Formats: sequence, C-alpha cells, structure tokens
Amino acid sequence: MSGGEGRLASLIGDLRAFGAAARKEWRLLRRYPSLFIGFLFWPIALPTAYVLQAQGYAGSSVAATNAFASRAGTGEIAGFLFLGWATYMWISMILWGPGTALRTEQVRGSLEAIFITPASRLVVIFGPAVSQVIWALWMFAVVGMAMGVFFGVDLGLAAVLRALTVIILAVPALYGLGALFAAIVLRFGEVHALVQTVRGLFTVFCGMTFPIIILPEWARAVALALPPTYLIGDLRHVLLTGASLTDLVPDLAILLTIGIALCLLAVVAFRSTERYARRGGSLAQY
Amino acid sequence: MTSAALPASWRKDVADEWHAALAIARKELHIAKRYPLNLANEVLQPLYQFLLPSLLLGATFAVGGRALGLSSLTGTDDLAGFLFLGVVVGGLVGAAFWEIAFSFKREMDTGTLEPAWLTPTRPETFVIGRAIGAMVIAAATSLVLIGVGSAVFGATYSAGIVAALPAIVLASLGMLGIGYLIASALLMLREPNFFVDATSFLFAMASGVAFPITVLPLVVRPVAYLLPTTYALDLLRQYALGTRPLLDSRIEWLALTALTVVTLLVGQRVFLRTEHRIRIRGTLGQH
Repeated sequence: MSGGEGRLASLIGDLRAFGAAARKEWRLLRRYPSLFIGFLFWPIALPTAYVLQAQGYAGSSVAATNAFASRAGTGEIAGFLFLGWATYMWISMILWGPGTALRTEQVRGSLEAIFITPASRLVVIFGPAVSQVIWALWMFAVVGMAMGVFFGVDLGLAAVLRALTVIILAVPALYGLGALFAAIVLRFGEVHALVQTVRGLFTVFCGMTFPIIILPEWARAVALALPPTYLIGDLRHVLLTGASLTDLVPDLAILLTIGIALCLLAVVAFRSTERYARRGGSLAQY
Repeated sequence: MTSAALPASWRKDVADEWHAALAIARKELHIAKRYPLNLANEVLQPLYQFLLPSLLLGATFAVGGRALGLSSLTGTDDLAGFLFLGVVVGGLVGAAFWEIAFSFKREMDTGTLEPAWLTPTRPETFVIGRAIGAMVIAAATSLVLIGVGSAVFGATYSAGIVAALPAIVLASLGMLGIGYLIASALLMLREPNFFVDATSFLFAMASGVAFPITVLPLVVRPVAYLLPTTYALDLLRQYALGTRPLLDSRIEWLALTALTVVTLLVGQRVFLRTEHRIRIRGTLGQH
C-alpha cells in the first residue's frame, strides 16, 4: 500500500470511528427518556420566566419599555430573551457534553481501552459532540415554535435561514470550547465546578438577558473576547432586526477566527494532557 | 403500661426523636463543611446564575437609573432589594427540594437508606433532621446575600424586616411539608433529577422569587396563591421595602399560617403512606 493510500484508509477509518462515537452517544441519550422531556421543558420554561420578569420590569411604564427598546435595538422582548437563553442552553450542552462523556468513560474504566485503539484523538475529542448538534437544532426549533405560538414573534423563512448560517458558523467556536473543556476535565478530573464557573462567566458577560452596551467598558471588552457574545448578538440581529449576513461579516469573521483558534488550542491541549496522563499513569484515575 | 406512665413515655419518645433529628442535622452540616467550595457556591451560584442576569435585565428597563416599571406594579423601585429578598425565599425552596427531598436519593445511591431506616428512629425524623441542617445553611446563605445586596448593589432594607422573620419561620415549616411531599415522589421514581429540577424551578417562580406574581397569566395565578412561600415573600418585601401587599396583610398572615399547617399535615401523611408502601413492596434499596 502506498503512502497516499494508507493515509486515505486511515482517514476513512477515522470517519467511521467518528460516526460510531456519535451513534454511541445518541444511543446513550435515548436510554434516558426523562432527558427528552427536559429538552422540551427547559427551552420554554427558562426564557418564559425571564419574559415574565421583563413584564414586571416594564410594568405600566411606557418610558421603561421604550428604554429597553432603545438599548436593545428591538422592542421584541420575548424574542430577545428567548434567543439569549437558547444560546445559553446550547453552551450548557456543549460544556457538559464532551467533558462529561470523557469523565464518564474514565469513571467506568473504559477510557484507557479507547486510547489503545488506533482511532485519531480528534474522534475522541469531537465524536461525542456530534450528537449534541442534533439537540442544539432541536432546541432552537422548540425555541422558535415557542416564540411564535406563545408570544406571536413572527420569524420569516429567510431570517431563519440566515440564523442557521450564523449557527453553523458558530459551531467551530463552541465545539472548540467544548473540546478544550474536555482536555481540562481529563487533566483535573472535575467537571461540575468548572462548568458552573464558565457558564456563570458567559451569563454575566455575554448578554443573555441584556444588550452588552449597558455593561461598563472593561466588562464590554471581556464580552467582546467571548464567542457567545457574537452568536447571541448576530442571532438577534438576523431574526429580530432584519439584518442581512453581509451586515454581519466583521462579526462572523471574528467568530470563525476564534473558532479555528479554539479548535487548534483544544487539539494541542488534548495532546499535552494525554502525554501527561500516559506518563503519570493517571488516565484511569479519578 | 398505666395511663399515668403514658405521658412520661411519650415525652421520652419525643425527646429521643428530637435528639436523633439534631444528630442528623449535625451530620448534614459536618458533610457540608467538608466541601467548602460547595458552600461558597451556595452564595455564588444565585449571584451569577440569577441575580446578575436579572439585575442587568432590570438595568435595560431603567429610566434615569430608576426602576419605574417595577415601581408601578409593586410600589418600590429598589430592584436589588426586590431580587435579593426573592433569593431568600428561593433558598428555602432549594433547601426543601434539593437538601431535604433529594438527600433521600443520594442515600439510595450510596446504599445507606435501608440501614438507616432499620434503626428505631421514625422515618419522618430523618426528614426533620435534614430540614434543620438545610435551613441552617439556607439562613446563613440568605444573610450573606442580603449583606451583599446592601453593600454592593445598593439594596435598602427598612428595620421592619425583623417583623417579617415569623413569616420566614412559618414558610420554613411549610417547606418541610413540601419536602415530605417531594421526598415521597422521589422514593417512587427511578430517575428523579428532572422532576426535582423542574418542580423546584416552577415552585420558586410561582412564589414570586423573580417577578411580582401579578404578571403571571391568569390561569396560573391561583396556583401562586396556594403556596405558603408566596405570602411569606410578599410579607417580607412589604416590611423590608414597603411594597404594596397582594392582599390585606392580616389575610396574608392567616393564609400563610393555614397553608403551612395544611402542607405539614398532608406532607407528613403522604410521606408515611409512601414509606409504608415501599416497605411492603421491598423497593427501598432499588434505584
């Protein structure tokens, strides 16, 4: 077999392993039906609570409602909050997903066996995340329906397609983040506290419930360094203010650049963690 | 046993159960002290997951730095005070659902529930012991958060807040009843995480932790009026912030007391029936 043929065979093998890893995660999810109810409940319940809170803040004051519209760039309060929380839930899934998958393998004692296989490490890092894409699409669909049915937010097909493009362009950034997270989990063996901290950081800085212009300057600088800020802002722009994709080219370019950087960083971090774990024999320790 | 001896034996039983409840509470507090980061998270988590996003949303509606919309509904424009007091009652809800009720699930998982129930201690004493431990942590967390609200976010509480303390004590007893009910459900469920997560969230929201309950849809609002925590929180905000009451204050005190008694009695009865049923079925060790 020539070098080229060998590389092709290896690539096909890795793709098959990638598909198998995704299928396995999907099967595990199917074993816990209560998760399905959760994926229907939370995308509606959590944003609805904040819509009610916003109604409490608006009260009967027209000035308060106008203040929101001028700061947020839209008077569509329900849409604004639903899109913010949908992104929050997607990020939660990504942060919990790959890290927890590796941690679970570690606890079950199957992680060492996986590392002995000839499959690429990219399969180990990104494979579990693929099944999460299905849930992300499902969640955005539930959010879209809830916005339309309960709050009368009208999302046109063209706007939905633009939003899908934004979501696809955000995939490298968010999944790079998830993979980086997985590497950290493998190194330190703890997932809960880290997820809560990072999720808290995103909630406070990235504008899930508010436009980032109300943040002080230093906090806005932090927000602009975090990929979810661009995702939330761009989704709101295309779905609520009718912005076109060309209007958002600078934002999307930043999002994609951060995404590529995060994916590369994740691969480097994962390799370094793996070397550390192999040398210290800590791969199976937890 | 003579009739004269009965009260003495009854008193001894009560004293024994009380000692057992305190021992369980001490055990829970010992465990909590072993995880200082988790204790710190009791304060930090409400801050970054609820209070900061809610305050920032409130800032988006502010007119000249004032919460005019909130003031039009509740009579106060002290947004920080409104939310930080909400978290006090949110802490009670969390304690009932996660610390009182869900601790049974944790014991089921570790396999210690069956041996514990083989001791002569009454099953409801385990609930009371956990409730005491959970309420001590909730009270400490609330005090810290109220302090943070005042020192960092400018919440201003009037001295009248002290007059609302009996309402919080009553609500804590009511939440013990809710803890009994949720624990009963947990003992019957195999995978209760979603159930506890969703019901505690809905309970807190319906109590008005995040917003005035007058913004709830009309079909949901009657549920809010059936929760003891709704009245406790409304009384707390009235005394501390001068908010407009939902109902006449005397009616609120009466409703809070009545709902607390009903919740406690119903909760305990349901819990004992559930416990009896699972002893017969022999499913206590299954999870």
